[in-house]
Amino acid sequence: MNPHAYAELGAGLAMGLGAVGPGIGLGILIGKALESIARQPEVAGDIRTNMFIGIGVTEAVALYAFVVALILVFVAK
Amino acid sequence: MKKGMKWVWLVVVLAALVGLFLIPGGAKETLNVAGEFDLQPILKLPSIGPVDLSVNKAVVYLWLATAVIIVIAIIIARNLKPEPGRFQAAMEGMYSLARDGIARSVMRSGVNAWFPYIGAVFFFVLINNLIGLIPLPFGEHHQFSFYTATANLYVTVTLALFTFVFTHYAGISKYGLRRYVGGWMPSGAPPVLREFIFVIHAVSEFFRLVSLSVRLFANMVAGHAILAVFFAMALIFQSYLIAVALQGASVLIYLFEIFVAVIQAFIFAILSAVYIGGALDSQH
Repeated sequence: MNPHAYAELGAGLAMGLGAVGPGIGLGILIGKALESIARQPEVAGDIRTNMFIGIGVTEAVALYAFVVALILVFVAK
Repeated sequence: MKKGMKWVWLVVVLAALVGLFLIPGGAKETLNVAGEFDLQPILKLPSIGPVDLSVNKAVVYLWLATAVIIVIAIIIARNLKPEPGRFQAAMEGMYSLARDGIARSVMRSGVNAWFPYIGAVFFFVLINNLIGLIPLPFGEHHQFSFYTATANLYVTVTLALFTFVFTHYAGISKYGLRRYVGGWMPSGAPPVLREFIFVIHAVSEFFRLVSLSVRLFANMVAGHAILAVFFAMALIFQSYLIAVALQGASVLIYLFEIFVAVIQAFIFAILSAVYIGGALDSQH
């Protein structure tokens, strides 16, 4: 295999493995938020706002993997 | 509708699908997905030192977004009515989302001082993201193509730098430099641990800048790359049947991208509000 093939393989691995953790995290986060909205519907607005903040922070981890994959494919040639 | 008509429609749809399957696709064309994000200068201008002043696609999109926001704001401000029509009601809804849903819900103090910035950044990012979902003739050879200014790291870093600078400006102007930076050290901690926590806090302040900019950038690039890949797949498979299925899938992806555009603007604005509010309330 030439070095570029390794870079593309690494990009795929980075994106795929990097999406596992945030996926689990988002599942737990949104699940818990829905649970607490079902338990206390009167504070649904507050919970939703905080849920979006949490989503933004959690999803950033997957996006770092995406940026690393982009760098591997297009920059590290 | 009579029951017999339904059968006729079913047969027509099936015949159309079989026909699509039998007819081979058109000539193979290639769509370079990465090329969609290239920035060729549209209007060549001289550069001052290392700063290239040429106008490219991203600049045009930024101008467009600014123009759209200005036009909407002027129309709304000239035609304010006590009983809002459809357009005014929609804009009032957006405004109250920015004020009550974002600024007031996370900031304990300084809402009136900082809402103008948070509202402006919300609308700017929102309009930029939404304009990116309209095909405009700025592609190669003036083809219609998708692009957003927020799918450019320089634009998002600039926006994140505004939040970064305003965060510390808010904290320093309220508490003074010494007390604000001193507030990063917990006073109850033992000596060495205190400095360690200070360093961690300083690094995390810098990484807020990185995560704020990279989140918006990567979401927009990923969304547009997925759209481009779905369009390109129809060219690769060369079958009208698969093209029909892919167009359906593209519509779903497109709807999801509209959702992402709104959510990302919301997250950008709400995190800006959280950071500025955190700087204002850092000392108790």
